[in-house]
Amino acid sequence: MRAETLKRHIDLHAWAGILTGLALFVAFFAGALNMFHHELHHWQEPAAREAAAPDANMQALLDTVVANNPDAGQWMFLVPGDDPSAIWRDTVDGEGVWRTEHASDFNDAGEKVAPPGGSGLSDFVNELHYELAIPKFGLYVMGIVSVLYGAALIGGLVIHWSRLKKEFFALKHQGNLRRYWKNLHNLVGVISYPFHVIFAWTGAAMGCLAIVTLVMGALVFGPRFQSVFTEATEAWPTPEASGTRVAMASIDDYLAGAREAMPELDVGWIELQQYGDENAVVDVGGSVHGKVAHYSHVVMRGDNAELLTVSGPGQRSFNHFLMAPVYSLHFGDYGGLFVRLMYFALALLGCLLFFSGNIMWCERRTDRQGPSRSAAFMLRLTLGVTFGVMAGLAMAFIVSKPMLYSPWQAWTAPAEKIAFLATLLVALVAAFRAAPLTTAGLWPKLCAGLYILAPLVQGGIEGFHTWLEPDFLLVNGALLAVAASLILVDRLRRRRMRRAAPHPLWVGAAHPVTAANPVDPDPA
Amino acid sequence: MRGLLGSVLGLPLAMMLCGLLAAILPIDWRDWLVLMMLLSLLVWALLIVLSGMARTPWRAGIGLLAANGLAWLLLQTTSLYGGA
Repeated sequence: MRAETLKRHIDLHAWAGILTGLALFVAFFAGALNMFHHELHHWQEPAAREAAAPDANMQALLDTVVANNPDAGQWMFLVPGDDPSAIWRDTVDGEGVWRTEHASDFNDAGEKVAPPGGSGLSDFVNELHYELAIPKFGLYVMGIVSVLYGAALIGGLVIHWSRLKKEFFALKHQGNLRRYWKNLHNLVGVISYPFHVIFAWTGAAMGCLAIVTLVMGALVFGPRFQSVFTEATEAWPTPEASGTRVAMASIDDYLAGAREAMPELDVGWIELQQYGDENAVVDVGGSVHGKVAHYSHVVMRGDNAELLTVSGPGQRSFNHFLMAPVYSLHFGDYGGLFVRLMYFALALLGCLLFFSGNIMWCERRTDRQGPSRSAAFMLRLTLGVTFGVMAGLAMAFIVSKPMLYSPWQAWTAPAEKIAFLATLLVALVAAFRAAPLTTAGLWPKLCAGLYILAPLVQGGIEGFHTWLEPDFLLVNGALLAVAASLILVDRLRRRRMRRAAPHPLWVGAAHPVTAANPVDPDPA
Repeated sequence: MRGLLGSVLGLPLAMMLCGLLAAILPIDWRDWLVLMMLLSLLVWALLIVLSGMARTPWRAGIGLLAANGLAWLLLQTTSLYGGA
């Protein structure tokens, strides 16, 4: 490849990386914790309440929720389990709002016994992952970020294809600190490349769905394109209410119908639409284990549980055949705990990739153009955001349990978000006030300490015997694994610092290119 | 700048190129809508990379505008619009 073409590929890779790196860091870090979303739901609940959960069933929960909220049956998900939950769509001031109620929230008479509020940790981590916790626009931002991430990956492949084998063994302590970041960036990028392709593509598909259907509708297929797309990708078209109320079949009837139609289905949820209306549709959804595209659906009429359609492995349209793996490959829930742990580790490595990419951009810019305010700003912003997000999430975990058992229990979810935002703000201010080298020396240790403290606080309040419960073990284990990763990165950084002087940018002053501080001859 | 042009002008071009593919192929486009969407995202990313390869931002911008115009004109010769 000509040197000029390679240089343009490197420039484009760097441009796309610097534009999206911080958003991707936040998404990947929250995504790593979100690999244990279900377990985190359990972790965030008061342990005492779990133990006292009544012997409830989904039918009783459904009847209670619909009796208390007559519109809840328009669109609701029932999730089975030890403490079944109902997630239903409410409308507040014309805006759709999802509400969640658990069977343990009610006594046998159907009266609400759970105090209002509670932790919102799992939802917050999820929101941070897919929309940077920015309502409405965050999802579209992440969709576009994913496309740019894809472009950066294509450029990265072009840049590194010819030297893949060499770079696989290239993490050597040679030259200046920048060479080390570059080797680390290349090594992590090469190892996890297929994983990043999956994430960029499936993330773009989920985030850009609205943008793609809007543009395709406007330019190619006409205004009805969006509804055609929805029809083509749904297991069954969304029903309209007829206005005629009829008796519904029981939850047991739906489950029996699903078992008969698809015996291998492991039920994960029951989706109800227009429940109570004669057009009501019930979709019993879940997984057929052992398949990558494992999501499956058995759709029935709501009134008599008559089978309408089945969508599962070997029994679906080409559109569903392609859509199902988009979700499962992104969520990493197709291969059991091993795959989830692998996704967790790869997501943390992804964080390192984006962090090192940003640092390389800052140092390269300084080397090429001399002292650069934008490079200094970007380095401090990178340190502030990355350490701020990591420390902020740890603080959200730490305040969660003390709040949950305090008189201000109803304020737990807001307190978690406030703790996150306040810590992020402190980290940003600290990153812009202190020299980057000081920030890089202090904050990894601080973050690691906070991730060790979070499980200790949980154990101290709810008892360390709870650590033996599988869900608690996974969440606390994940938090401790984050702490261990940070300690490891900090050790690597300190070892490098002993062997080579830092780039001038790190000590708060960016020097121009001199003979003593040469430009790295290998820009890739 | 070239990457930004590719991001903005590459989106409609990618969608229209996939629309042209749908018009050429003898299969009902409704049957492979999801593949078309996935393909359009890949084409969009490739267009960003291609525009980044242009010698100057002007070249990238003019090239993308011309390609968008041509694709739009070609789409008018098909019966896709309103067929949804």
